[in-house]
Amino acid sequence: MVVEVIVDGGILYGLLAVGAGLATGLAGIGAGVGEQGIGAAVVGVVAEEPGFLGKGLFLMLLPETLIIFGLAVSLILMFAWTPFA
Amino acid sequence: MPVLRLPKFGKPVKYAYITGRVRAMKTKLIPREMYQRMLGMEIPEITRYLEETQYKEEIDSIAKDYSGAELVEYATFANLAKTYRKLLRVSIDEPQFLILEYLRRWDIWNIKTILRGKFYGASEEDIMKYLVPAGELDPEFLEGLAKKERVEEVIQAFDGTDYYEALAQYDGKMLSSVENALDKLYYFRMERAVGGTLSVGGGLLLKYVRKEIDVKNLVTLFRMNKAGIEASVIQENLIPGGKLHEELSRMAGQSYNEFVRGLEGYPFWSAISDVVGEGGSVSRIEARLRAYLVRYAWALSNYHPLSILPVLGYIVSKDTEVSNIRKIVRGKEAGLSAELIEEQVVA
Repeated sequence: MVVEVIVDGGILYGLLAVGAGLATGLAGIGAGVGEQGIGAAVVGVVAEEPGFLGKGLFLMLLPETLIIFGLAVSLILMFAWTPFA
Repeated sequence: MPVLRLPKFGKPVKYAYITGRVRAMKTKLIPREMYQRMLGMEIPEITRYLEETQYKEEIDSIAKDYSGAELVEYATFANLAKTYRKLLRVSIDEPQFLILEYLRRWDIWNIKTILRGKFYGASEEDIMKYLVPAGELDPEFLEGLAKKERVEEVIQAFDGTDYYEALAQYDGKMLSSVENALDKLYYFRMERAVGGTLSVGGGLLLKYVRKEIDVKNLVTLFRMNKAGIEASVIQENLIPGGKLHEELSRMAGQSYNEFVRGLEGYPFWSAISDVVGEGGSVSRIEARLRAYLVRYAWALSNYHPLSILPVLGYIVSKDTEVSNIRKIVRGKEAGLSAELIEEQVVA
């Protein structure tokens, strides 16, 4: 019966969904950790030099790109990579 | 005065805001090449130039009461106190604790200034002008001290604090022993308060401060060895706690040439090697060592970008800037030659 479930793909689909969730979620946490320091530093500089805001925002958003990678992996897992096709 | 509680373990990210801010503040400091130009200016021109910088607010606010060198001197002191207070205001947690520990030197400076003022009978207004309320003692408390009549009354006001033991050494005749004891107390307190923290930040602060003590002792050695003072007297004047304390105290009382030869090979040697000749002035050596210390703080902060070191680098650079401006302006007022003033300017 177990073999049947695996073959049907029920559990595997579930694990795939969990993996996809982890890919985006962990990437988000990592980006957040990276951004906390950059954000604090940028706010410190902008407090003294308001003209730095544009550059500062750009630097602050750099770690966000990591989430895009995570999201791409999630989307591939959910929709593009289909081992059961 | 309660000793601050030791903070928790420090995380580098706590320093992100304050280091970002001081690095931006550093760009507003007067550039090194400007001192050369200031040497060729008259005092009113220097004042006009300073009005275009961060000193504008202070100069504008006291320009109606003072002029010339006095105006520049009080304005720069007021700005220094404001800047340091700002650093304390905008920092939190461990950085704030460490900055305050370092800035306590201005408490010592203020106590010394008040004692000296009272000793020589200066007026309350005159004393207040030279105070830099950047440490823990607030301006109101200092004003209260400046209003007191005699040195003994000032000392009595510190009864029950850490300072009292050092101040109690006052014998009614000389202030130098009290001043020396206050300096030692400052470093002892810092070692006790910061040395107990297990954080990386506290260790880095101590590393820098040990270097600073060495440089201070080195200047004392240069002065006293040159004057041919006895080894035991010199050793009494050296501040304990420096990294090279043992080695430097052995050099006390040596002949000048022997002392200079013994310094070869130390990291600060390259900064002073060309000015330590027999005829060289100690103030030039002191200026070079001071510049070395500023460079050391910034160089060290490159290895630890998210630490107390960039803040320390800024504090030292700002202090140097103010003392440079004061040296130039006071020198100009006294009619000293540009070469003589340049000798003392830290660049």
